[in-house]
Amino acid sequence: MKKTILKVENLHYAYWNGKVALEDVSVDIHEGEKIAVMGSNGSGKSTFFLNMNGVFTPEHGKITYRDTLVTKKTLKELRKNIGIVFQDADNQIVTSTVRAEVGFGPMNLKLPIEEVHERVEEALTYMNITDFKDRPPHYLSGGEKKRVSIASILSMKPEIIIFDEPTAALDPLNAKMLEEVLAKLGSEGKTMLLSTHDVDLAYRWAERVLVFNAGKIIADGTPLEIFKDQPILKQANLKKPMLLELYEMLVQNELLEDTAVYPKTTEAFKAVVENNVILLSNLA
Amino acid sequence: MEKIVVIGTIFIMVSILWSAVNWRFFNPNQAGHSHRYKFRHNHGEGVSIDYYAYASKIKHWNPTFKVSFSMMTLVLCIALDNPYVSMFVIAAMAYITIVKGKLPLREYLRVLAIPITFILLSIVAIIFDFSKVPTGLYDLPIGFGYIFTSNAMLKTGLYLMLKVFAAISALQMMTLSTPSSEIISVLRKAHVPKLVIELMNMIYRYIFILLEVSTKMKNAADSRLGNCDFRTSCSTFGNIGANLLVISMKKANAYYDAMESRCYDGDFIFYEEVKAVDKKLIIKAGVFMVTLIIIWHYTHL
Repeated sequence: MKKTILKVENLHYAYWNGKVALEDVSVDIHEGEKIAVMGSNGSGKSTFFLNMNGVFTPEHGKITYRDTLVTKKTLKELRKNIGIVFQDADNQIVTSTVRAEVGFGPMNLKLPIEEVHERVEEALTYMNITDFKDRPPHYLSGGEKKRVSIASILSMKPEIIIFDEPTAALDPLNAKMLEEVLAKLGSEGKTMLLSTHDVDLAYRWAERVLVFNAGKIIADGTPLEIFKDQPILKQANLKKPMLLELYEMLVQNELLEDTAVYPKTTEAFKAVVENNVILLSNLA
Repeated sequence: MEKIVVIGTIFIMVSILWSAVNWRFFNPNQAGHSHRYKFRHNHGEGVSIDYYAYASKIKHWNPTFKVSFSMMTLVLCIALDNPYVSMFVIAAMAYITIVKGKLPLREYLRVLAIPITFILLSIVAIIFDFSKVPTGLYDLPIGFGYIFTSNAMLKTGLYLMLKVFAAISALQMMTLSTPSSEIISVLRKAHVPKLVIELMNMIYRYIFILLEVSTKMKNAADSRLGNCDFRTSCSTFGNIGANLLVISMKKANAYYDAMESRCYDGDFIFYEEVKAVDKKLIIKAGVFMVTLIIIWHYTHL
């Protein structure tokens, strides 16, 4: 059993105008998990993230980080270990050079300057943005800004990284770059949460899916469990991932043997189809 | 000496005309903007100056050196109060910015045209005076009195102009080669209050966000005929202003969240690169200062 990093219990949060954003949210996050958080706009995903990071204080409910209950005193520890890459990089970049932005977090952690320097260089190299470290953010493109915002979280070396709709407003090339970064981080065993509306991305990337609807978690399970559950999909206004739908269609029409493999990428799908070529030719 | 003064005055007149023409031709807001450079913005001079600083080839010079060099030159210009020193400074600063910094001459003149316009307008007020009776050396009757000037007044005006121009080119050398963030960091080292420094940093970052948002809103309004006539543009302008305020509030909140999530606890601590001071440059700067004083020594009256 993997160790639990973060334990959220009965979280309840309402905005100043009384609008309830989160209602009785409980979830455990374990080491090395790759979690996709899904749900329509305004279903409470971003509010949940900001609560997890201690930026918003819940009305009631508790958050336990590695067996310590998060209070005002231990808040800094929580923020240090949970990094959020915000949806809009422009709302995240606060300083006037890329280098200073990446160094913002480490400096706030009051690390010695050599260590800050090391971490900044490392994060810049990781995100491949060493070339424009001296540039101000207003001379960067959208994709570059996204990379800067990710680097500025990586430099803090958090245990959990939260990506709030990272693929929104990215072109296909940058979206691919982002997925590569996700894969790289995943191979290093980082725990990640990612909110997205892209069911295909969630299906192929995630190990676990949380579905939010109107401030509540209505489903929590493996992508397969969630995406096969028609009532849940309907309630959260999600559609089925294309590959899953295709697979089910082929099985249903007896063009493919039901091996319950469920390919998640086009390559894997191709392999499954090729392995079943006999079945297909028998039909002919 | 009189000849010099008269020639100088003619030069002023020509420059007034030239800069008036210049202003019309080069100001991107009035003449539309060209796409000769990669990053060309069409919202104001400030933005292009900001870009030149990043493109400058002497950006790697230590910022503290650049700021103090330009400040000392400025102080010397004013203290020595000598036209030859001023001319030397103008030439030297142009050399540093154009030759060392690789800023195109045209762009340099374009940037200088703005302060020049203001200088020339104020010089006009200094060299000409008004009187009921002809008193000066040169009088221009305008019906109920005379606009007059004299060689002494022309001389004062010319010298003053040179001095102001030299001081400005010293400051331009700094702004055209040092990114704002570095200038702010120098101010921080000079113990300017922390609050001011934090504000300067955030304002600098924010100006560009506001510009971007307002440009987007303006384009959106334009595409829906928001500026088709005077009345509509007035109300559009008001709406954009009101919206900008609302968006600023929202953005400020989002910013604060993003900062808090990265352990911000009320103190803006800056991480910046340390740029080594080139000893040769300091020696050169020293030689330059001494040269100024020598020029002053041999030419002052």
